[in-house]
Amino acid sequence: MPAFRVLIVESDTSEVTELRQLIQSWEYTGSGDCALPTTIHCAPAATVALASYHEYQPNLVIFGPTAAAGVSAAEIRQLRQSGGVEPVPILFVQDLDAMVSSQSPHTLCDDILTKPYSPPLVQLKLASIRRFCEFSRSLMAQRDRLRRHHADFLQEQANAREIFGNLGNESCLDDTPAIRYHLSPRAVLNGDLLAATYTPDGKLVLMLGDFAGHGLAAAVGAVPLTSIFYSMMPRGFSMSRVAREINRKLYDILPRQMFCCLVMLELDPRRNHLRILNAGMPSPCLKRSAGELHLLESRHLPFGVLSTDQIESAIVNVRVLPGDRLYLWSDGIHEARNGKGEHFGEARLIRLLRDNGNNRGQAFDQILVAVNAHAAEQHDDLSLVELDLSHSSLRKSGCPAADYTGNRKGGRVGDWSISLQLSQEELRAADPLPHVLSVLVQMPGAARFQEDLAIALGELFRNALEHGVLELDSSIKATDDGFVRYYDLMAERRGQLQDGWVRITLSCSEGDTGGELTLIVEDSGSGFPATREPSGVYAGRGLGLLQTVCDEVHYRPGCSRVEAVIRWSGAVAEGDIDEAGGNAMQKPPLPV
Amino acid sequence: MVVSDRFESRVTSEVSEGGDALVIRVAGNFDFNMHREFQRAYRNVSPPPRTFLVDLSETDHLDSAALGMLLLLRDYCVEVGAEGAQPTVELMNANAHVSHILSVSNFDRIFSIR
Repeated sequence: MPAFRVLIVESDTSEVTELRQLIQSWEYTGSGDCALPTTIHCAPAATVALASYHEYQPNLVIFGPTAAAGVSAAEIRQLRQSGGVEPVPILFVQDLDAMVSSQSPHTLCDDILTKPYSPPLVQLKLASIRRFCEFSRSLMAQRDRLRRHHADFLQEQANAREIFGNLGNESCLDDTPAIRYHLSPRAVLNGDLLAATYTPDGKLVLMLGDFAGHGLAAAVGAVPLTSIFYSMMPRGFSMSRVAREINRKLYDILPRQMFCCLVMLELDPRRNHLRILNAGMPSPCLKRSAGELHLLESRHLPFGVLSTDQIESAIVNVRVLPGDRLYLWSDGIHEARNGKGEHFGEARLIRLLRDNGNNRGQAFDQILVAVNAHAAEQHDDLSLVELDLSHSSLRKSGCPAADYTGNRKGGRVGDWSISLQLSQEELRAADPLPHVLSVLVQMPGAARFQEDLAIALGELFRNALEHGVLELDSSIKATDDGFVRYYDLMAERRGQLQDGWVRITLSCSEGDTGGELTLIVEDSGSGFPATREPSGVYAGRGLGLLQTVCDEVHYRPGCSRVEAVIRWSGAVAEGDIDEAGGNAMQKPPLPV
Repeated sequence: MVVSDRFESRVTSEVSEGGDALVIRVAGNFDFNMHREFQRAYRNVSPPPRTFLVDLSETDHLDSAALGMLLLLRDYCVEVGAEGAQPTVELMNANAHVSHILSVSNFDRIFSIR
């Protein structure tokens, strides 16, 4: 504890000496039971006191009788201002004998010492002032500590915001007008996160998550979550595989009371198929162009609660119709309160979406306006996403991931073939795509057909698995209910699969004028039914899609073998269209 | 609509009539501010009861932090179970709003609710 500093202002030296003796004869014992020193500094006049004030930084100022009588209000005010926030008491010495004639401005000081001095009274006063000073000093120290902590906290928030901003760099949220979103900074710091990217075969995958818990600690979980998402999705891992990985990771790293509510969806714009997994989030709302609303309720525990999962059975399949829109939000909107403490609630949201009728795109803005109006006094804590499920931009855009420099594009692919066979064990949960693609990605020049291959391979594998191995009849899918039943049936049969295989063979040959990649997929099933041609399994969307990306597609009734060929010309990458011959359809220029 | 005032929120606990269950009642808004009181309610019971009954009859609202606290209680039971019989957790008397939150989060799969 530093010394107690007293500044005496007085021109009369005998007065100074008397005061000095009075103060020095007094020994103050602080709360720690140790004697604490007192230092004294003298100034002959208020102007001198002001000049030395900052250097000396007194805890107490005493004006002797002569100085007290002569000081002006302005000088006292200046002294007080020099003291800053910490209060420094100012005492005047008042000579009782001279009292009558004195006009000294008593209201300027905090207290007076009367002369002739009564040592016990002076000491009582000094001790009480000193205790008061100690108290205010500890308050100031606490204030400074709080200030530092607050500054650190703001810095941490700024860092966190930057990290979250960078996490979003990989997203394709801003690349397509099909997605509109609002994610307030406060919502982000409360643990909300939004991520979106494309799979190699051109599906859009998006997730909106909400970490339970408080503040930054909750938001930190967003880092592993997004890094798993952005590293696995573009490699072609299936949504359920990625979701499983995320659940396991969060279970491993999060404290027990923390978890993450998450909606993850996969939109295949070419097949108009939406798969959605809701794990503890408020129900996303599907708005059909006809106006009806469907809530997609949570069918899974939040992620990070249990190490096991039932992801396959919790995924909901939806057939997308033109004009369908999907709205997603986090509970920040539900819990926005007005002045009376009322939550905004799901009911208001649904009403807004319903009343909005067919005014496309306006619901998004209306919801934001309504929530902000409701919770006028609260900080904005909302995450809202609107997804136009049938927007044309989703169909054209492919995976923007790989770096297609001119060099790589023109690079040699070479002559080679690979074959892999998946048996029942693997077929229960396998994702052949990432493995095949990871081999190809090493090859210079493979970028030119990567997306086409991913689409074709995905399509052929799905066909082999669903119709060949699992013997599912796609005519079930004709109705909306059937659509859902089909995928439930598939998950069920796949889980119980006892017997079956799918073989994938890729062979590539390249000459001076160009090259071709042949993709053969076979399965243990009974092959294409002859009777249902041409309305069979491949006459629908599947064939159209294959023919979009491949130059030739061959298959025979009664046989499970499908052969697809992708060709390119040697000279110019764009020239591969003209190479297509025979019965193959022309290939529209897909951006590569 | 939910109207709540967190200053009225509180946690009380009592041993049930049979003596084998501890009833923990959370009144008002069950959120992060309750976390010390809630933890105190189940931790300092010796010997631990056979069942923790979380009575939500007076709970107006329950947020994700409260769900986290229920997970901690569940974990505590596993911890206690390592030394003897493992207590169970049951949630009861939730109003419609609170039930909805429990079902949205699918917590009805890991807690028995009555």
